[in-house]
Amino acid sequence: MNQWIAVGALGVVAVGIPLGMMAASSMLRPTVPEQGKSAIYESGEVPTGTARVQFNIQYYMVALLFVIFDVETVLIFPWTVIYRPALEEGVPLVTLLAPMLVFIGILVVGLVWAWRNGAVEWVASPRALKEKTES
Amino acid sequence: MKASWVLLQNGNATGNATNATAGGVARPPSAPLADSIAGMLGLDGVVGAIVGGLIGAFIIANVMMATTAVAGPWAKRKITAAFTDRIAVNRVGPFGLLIIVADAVRLLSKELIVPDGVDRPAWDIAPIVIPFSALLGFAVIPFGSGLQLADPETGLVFAFAAASIASLGVVMAGYASNNKYSLLGGLRAIASNIAYEIPLIVTAASVVIFAGTLQMSEIVAVQQQTLIEIGGVAIPQWFAFVNPFAFALFILANLAEIGRNPFDIPEAPTEIVAGFQTEYSSVYFVLLYLGEFIHIFLGGALAAALFLGGPSGPVLPGFVWFYIKMWAFFLFTQWARSAVPRLRVDQFLDAGWKGMLVLSFANLVLTAILVGVIV
Repeated sequence: MNQWIAVGALGVVAVGIPLGMMAASSMLRPTVPEQGKSAIYESGEVPTGTARVQFNIQYYMVALLFVIFDVETVLIFPWTVIYRPALEEGVPLVTLLAPMLVFIGILVVGLVWAWRNGAVEWVASPRALKEKTES
Repeated sequence: MKASWVLLQNGNATGNATNATAGGVARPPSAPLADSIAGMLGLDGVVGAIVGGLIGAFIIANVMMATTAVAGPWAKRKITAAFTDRIAVNRVGPFGLLIIVADAVRLLSKELIVPDGVDRPAWDIAPIVIPFSALLGFAVIPFGSGLQLADPETGLVFAFAAASIASLGVVMAGYASNNKYSLLGGLRAIASNIAYEIPLIVTAASVVIFAGTLQMSEIVAVQQQTLIEIGGVAIPQWFAFVNPFAFALFILANLAEIGRNPFDIPEAPTEIVAGFQTEYSSVYFVLLYLGEFIHIFLGGALAAALFLGGPSGPVLPGFVWFYIKMWAFFLFTQWARSAVPRLRVDQFLDAGWKGMLVLSFANLVLTAILVGVIV
């Protein structure tokens, strides 16, 4: 309990420092609004359209895969903590290791499946493939 | 959630007990910084915890801000200049060190340009979230010499959890900027963070298998034991010596996690201008930049605490050694920046999901078997 108060205090300080810098800057900096200054940067061209566009589905596939493996890492951590102490207390190795091997094995099978399905393969749009000049 | 919490705490309790009895760990009797400050002020209870915590947090945060201030405007330029045979900043102050002050004033007094069509609350909050996440991670880092703000039993997991909040800030910055480069940069940052986070954490889990605890002070203490003795010199049991393969994996995944070369695809100046920070100026840009640099040092601090024995080292006090190790990691990132070409985004994801992930799980299983055999 005591420990987490200190962690929370660092959280407060870590928000306070950026806010303080913003306040200091707002007192120092000039504000000269001007048309054209606020245009978004597009290599110096006049920007076209909005940035809320469709993007590569690859990012979605990878995020789905991540959720699975992240939950897995959360489940692995308690095991890693008790592993060595339990061994030192005389629990047989097989009892400790076999369930985790099965667990990781199932996930590896899942990864292989996703791999063969092309979930971790970079998806290039048909247009990009058509206009590709180098091999 | 509740069940796993209890499990973690129980596991930890047994871990501490067995370590203390079996290993004979020589652990310096140092309380966490917040507690010792409260003790010095003669406060106790909740008031002492809050006051001690705030003062300790202020010290830690300012040490890291000062480190970053030296690293960002000065050390980075000097290192890159040394690699490319230039001199870099040398006009203001000794070795050009006062350029830090000049740059801080210059950047803070720039006009804040708000581009058309930005998503306002998110665009403003992102520069707070990124340094916040990096600074929060330092709460559990054992700097040595009693400079550890808090030492909760789940410290290691907390450090990773705090460091990952940065992904949220990056996607906020990228998506709210109304800029195509920013959007791409934000998406790439997320893709890289999630691809390399799992190898990073699974490799750290292999250290936890050795140490049998998640408490940072205990992980550091386990590494003080002697591995082997060569000619009267005791080589300590740093996990980088025990398992160099895991160390290499961790450093690589760390480079990707903090977005440095050869994995700096979130920014990739030659491809997408500046990635998610394209539309930021003035103090917002400073905060994003600062957050990234604190992140590098957090990565270095984690590598030092997990693999390089934390604050241990001969002659010099612990804090100095920890600081040197953090700077060594920073130097390594800058070396990689100058020496290694950037991966293409598809190669990058391939390397993450098909290479690092498989290798890190192999490392975990092999470590578990190894520990099972030697214990």
